[in-house]
Amino acid sequence: MAELKTLDLRPGGQTAHVWQGGNADSPALLFLHPITGIPRWGDALESLANDFHVIAPYQPGWGPAKDDLPGVRDALDLVLFNVDLLNTLGVGSAHVVGVSIGAWIGAEIAAIRPDAVQSLTLINPLGLWSENHPGEDPFAQHPGFPTAVLFSDPDKRNELLMAERDPMDAYVTELLDLRASAKFLWPIPDTGVGRRLVRIDTRTLIATSEHDNLVASEMGDIWRAAIPGAQSVEIADSGHIADLEAPEALAELVRSFALEGVTA
Amino acid sequence: MKFHWFNLMPWPHLPEDFRETNRSVWVDVDSRLYDPVEGHRVYNEYLDQLEYAATLGFDGIGVNEHHQNAYGMMPSPQIMAATLSRRTKDVTLLLLGQSIALYNPPTRVAEEMAMLDVMSGGRLVAGFPVGTSMDDNFCFGSNPATLRDKYQENHDLILRAWQDPEVFSWNGEYNKIRYVNLWPRPIQKPHPPIWIPGGGSVETWDFCGKMGYNYSYLSFNGYVRGEALMQGFWNRLGEMGVEFNPFQGAFAQQVVVAETDDQAEQMYTEHLQYFFDKCLHVYPGFADAPGYRTENTIRAGLRAGGAQGLGIAHTLEWKDWVREGYIVAGSPDSVTEQIEALATKLQVGHLVTLLHCGDMPDDKARASTKLFAEQVMPRVKHLWEDYEDHWSPKPIGSEQVATPAPVLTGSN
Repeated sequence: MAELKTLDLRPGGQTAHVWQGGNADSPALLFLHPITGIPRWGDALESLANDFHVIAPYQPGWGPAKDDLPGVRDALDLVLFNVDLLNTLGVGSAHVVGVSIGAWIGAEIAAIRPDAVQSLTLINPLGLWSENHPGEDPFAQHPGFPTAVLFSDPDKRNELLMAERDPMDAYVTELLDLRASAKFLWPIPDTGVGRRLVRIDTRTLIATSEHDNLVASEMGDIWRAAIPGAQSVEIADSGHIADLEAPEALAELVRSFALEGVTA
Repeated sequence: MKFHWFNLMPWPHLPEDFRETNRSVWVDVDSRLYDPVEGHRVYNEYLDQLEYAATLGFDGIGVNEHHQNAYGMMPSPQIMAATLSRRTKDVTLLLLGQSIALYNPPTRVAEEMAMLDVMSGGRLVAGFPVGTSMDDNFCFGSNPATLRDKYQENHDLILRAWQDPEVFSWNGEYNKIRYVNLWPRPIQKPHPPIWIPGGGSVETWDFCGKMGYNYSYLSFNGYVRGEALMQGFWNRLGEMGVEFNPFQGAFAQQVVVAETDDQAEQMYTEHLQYFFDKCLHVYPGFADAPGYRTENTIRAGLRAGGAQGLGIAHTLEWKDWVREGYIVAGSPDSVTEQIEALATKLQVGHLVTLLHCGDMPDDKARASTKLFAEQVMPRVKHLWEDYEDHWSPKPIGSEQVATPAPVLTGSN
């Protein structure tokens, strides 16, 4: 069973709130969450924990780390947070899986600390911008249902993100998670990672969801072309938040690619 | 009580089907609806109205800042205040205000406001709103996650730039300037009065209480709905140990006056309908970028059941607008009664009147303004006369005021 722990990172003593699950002897997997954070230890993480030692931190600014946002300004701060976390856990390198904004963070880690990344799976990555494929603006949404656009069907926001949580806390967390995302992606999700993608020498898989309102499949092509040797696949029947909408498909493609090098 | 005349400067030619054909009056409103040559006429008409109000004895005339907005055509309030400074003599220039978080470096704001204070002989009120999410985040691209931090830093820098006689360095999170040395400096010492326009955030109340600033509640919801919010402000100041003074509060209110109640309804309904129906048609997705509101304010809003009001004004009729306080309206007697009620409920010493509404033509705006100035203001000016107003400008003496030369005739 997974557990959520609060750790002091070394060096520096910054706090990390991190879910861990699976056998500590299994290959390590660093899961970098999407805009919507980690609402619970969900099916995707549970499935991955069958084969991996899953390490799923809240990035500074999200969920229980909401008050840590002022301490991070840019990609480098986020890379150091995650590398320090692996260091603290005694994990030298990990398979890195990122969804949405987490995919951007994963790409930054692979570009800056390639030795820490065994394989890289980027799912519905944000962080590059194309005027031809802008996608929906995740920050200009109706305040009554601010993340509905992230799902293939707006009703899935209730079903997958908000359900079984205190309504006020879930809504406030939803807004604060969006705030954290905005800090790095506002007003246009061009993070500058495009200048660094050529440095990635880890084997990389780009996955785009069939019904993602933010990241068009053409954006997946742009990411693939920018990362040497990258491959790409599509996830059927899913919107942007693939870990919630297509947990088993996500886990399966990660397993196949990370452990066997197969793109299903 | 002090009265200020304020014009939002709406574009008066939005089409009948505006709501159906545009998702928002703000941010992404269709620019093809704007005609710059007609805009030339409209600007001059609106500026003439502000100057006219000054001749009728209003204490202040007000300008503000909006961007990409068809109901507020003043991207630069400084430009408007600059022209008014030369064509008026005694009236307060209520610059309400400049969204100071937008400017980098904010010393530019400090400079321009110092220029205005000097040009006007010390008549400037400096309004420092955080600004709306529409203007700040969506039109100017300012990051909502850091907006309030940046606002605070910019405020601190402007204040120091106005007051510190020495050259200093500013090594901030958002501004790094090796040599800050404002030139010119404001006439008013230590600085022009500062008013903080706000919409109900708890942090803004605390800021006003701590700094001794005027809090100006600028909404279009009217005084009935404004009561709870202003009471929240006064309560907070009480908790902070700040002595009550009504002049520390200001409120903006739509007002229309005619000879009789019936005549007011006949004359002004269509223009108020234009305002509520078209000018307030804002896409909800632009109202509140993530991070624009603090967690405290979000939670307070949820506990209060969410803010309702503006969303329905356009569905109401004249009698509802009056009853619910969206407008103060009617004969001079009726308006006087309503202003007295407003002053009692909100306990504010400064009233920012919006006597031009929507697509109101010049003759009606002037008629309403004249009736208010001549038949209402004299009957309510005594309100709060026992309190000293510390939030109005302190201009230089008349013997020091420079007189602009008359406008030259002939081609120039």
